[in-house]
Amino acid sequence: MNVFVAVLWKDLVCEWRSRDRVVAMLVFSLLVVMIFHFALPSDVAAENQASLPGLLWIAYVFAALLGLNRSFALELENDALSAMALAPVERGWIFLGKAAANFILFGLVQAITAAIFALVFRMGLLSIALPLMGVIALGSLGITALGTLFAAISVRTRFREIMLPLLLLPLLMPVLIGAVSATSALLRTGSTPFHNIQLLIVTDLSYLIFSFLAFDHVLDE
Amino acid sequence: MTPAHSPTPPSPSDTAHWSERATAAVLVLLSSVYAWSVASAPLDRVQGVIQKILYVHVPCAFAAYLGFALTALFGALYLARRQEIFDKLALAAAEVGVVFCTLVIITGPIWARGTWGAWWTWDPRLTVTLLLWFVYLSYLMLRAFTDGGERTARFAAVYGILGLLTIPLNYFAIDLFGGSAMHPENLERGSLGTGMGLPFLIGTLTAFAAFAHLLVLRVRVEFLRLACARAAQDREDLELLAGRTTKENPQ
Repeated sequence: MNVFVAVLWKDLVCEWRSRDRVVAMLVFSLLVVMIFHFALPSDVAAENQASLPGLLWIAYVFAALLGLNRSFALELENDALSAMALAPVERGWIFLGKAAANFILFGLVQAITAAIFALVFRMGLLSIALPLMGVIALGSLGITALGTLFAAISVRTRFREIMLPLLLLPLLMPVLIGAVSATSALLRTGSTPFHNIQLLIVTDLSYLIFSFLAFDHVLDE
Repeated sequence: MTPAHSPTPPSPSDTAHWSERATAAVLVLLSSVYAWSVASAPLDRVQGVIQKILYVHVPCAFAAYLGFALTALFGALYLARRQEIFDKLALAAAEVGVVFCTLVIITGPIWARGTWGAWWTWDPRLTVTLLLWFVYLSYLMLRAFTDGGERTARFAAVYGILGLLTIPLNYFAIDLFGGSAMHPENLERGSLGTGMGLPFLIGTLTAFAAFAHLLVLRVRVEFLRLACARAAQDREDLELLAGRTTKENPQ
């Protein structure tokens, strides 16, 4: 448990001192939002709000891939990753610490992106802000759980920037389907059917538990 | 000039292991029966001759599922026991599985075009099959892009197990997303006409025999590769050693 707090604290302090990861993710996701604006016909926001939740989650996934790649790449400096592997602690807690730090940083980026997204596409998000935050947190939990595990794998491969999306995207499908349908339902009706949330919770839990157990085999021996 | 502890590089004459001969014999025998039984199977009243693609499509799907299940199983065994043979088996099962999955994805649209009038629909089963194909392509790429045998084996085992675990989740998710179920029902619900059961059964056995034969060949290739790498390493060591001795005694 102490390991969890130590790793989480270390990652947050690192980010606070450099602030490079959050800024990079944020600028990137806002750029993606801007590209959507030019890629879509101009009346899409007014006429057809149905495609917006999907676009929002695409921007989230792109930003997440960027941040997750950095999460373990920075451990390569001074070979900190080997030191982590040598530490006589339960490795699952190291994973949880890294995942929690990613979750917090990613959540920050998600909140700002959602606000800007709502402004430029004229989506009424304020009235559903609380349930929407819940849905986004559940979706982001799945993305960071699996993403942290795969970031630890891909950082030890050649072409690590390419390897992470190749590994992550196919297995992220249930999370994305649950998150996009829950967000769409929220936008349309103001509430979301329970089976979407159920899917997200089941997926998140299974990914978290599996990653916690598998992380032992992912760090070098 | 190979030292005693290393395996001798294999000569071309001793390549066929008994398991290869056995699986090849079974495969040849079964495929002739298979060809005959498909040719003599009754024509479907509604779909006509195109229905016979079922005898290729579904057995290939079974073989692909078998391959992916074995990949996860051997991956788990590798993580538990750390024996190289399990890793080689997992790799072979994944590669052969991808071959069969590709056949499924090729034969499916041919049938769909003739029957539904469209090459592809986002039916849950089609989507999951496509996703499976992507997962195992990523698995093979992960292996190709990781250096170091032991590390590759660990990473691949973790990914292979996770790939299998997510299939039920994906199926449920896509079903929930409102994919229309156009794909024919499972066979145990009796969607097979009279006289179609036998060629189907023989087709499945043939696909499994082909799977076993390819698996055995693929594992053999891995071991030959390993032996070659060891032999090359030994030769390098010897040359290094010889170079050092000539330097020390120039005469």
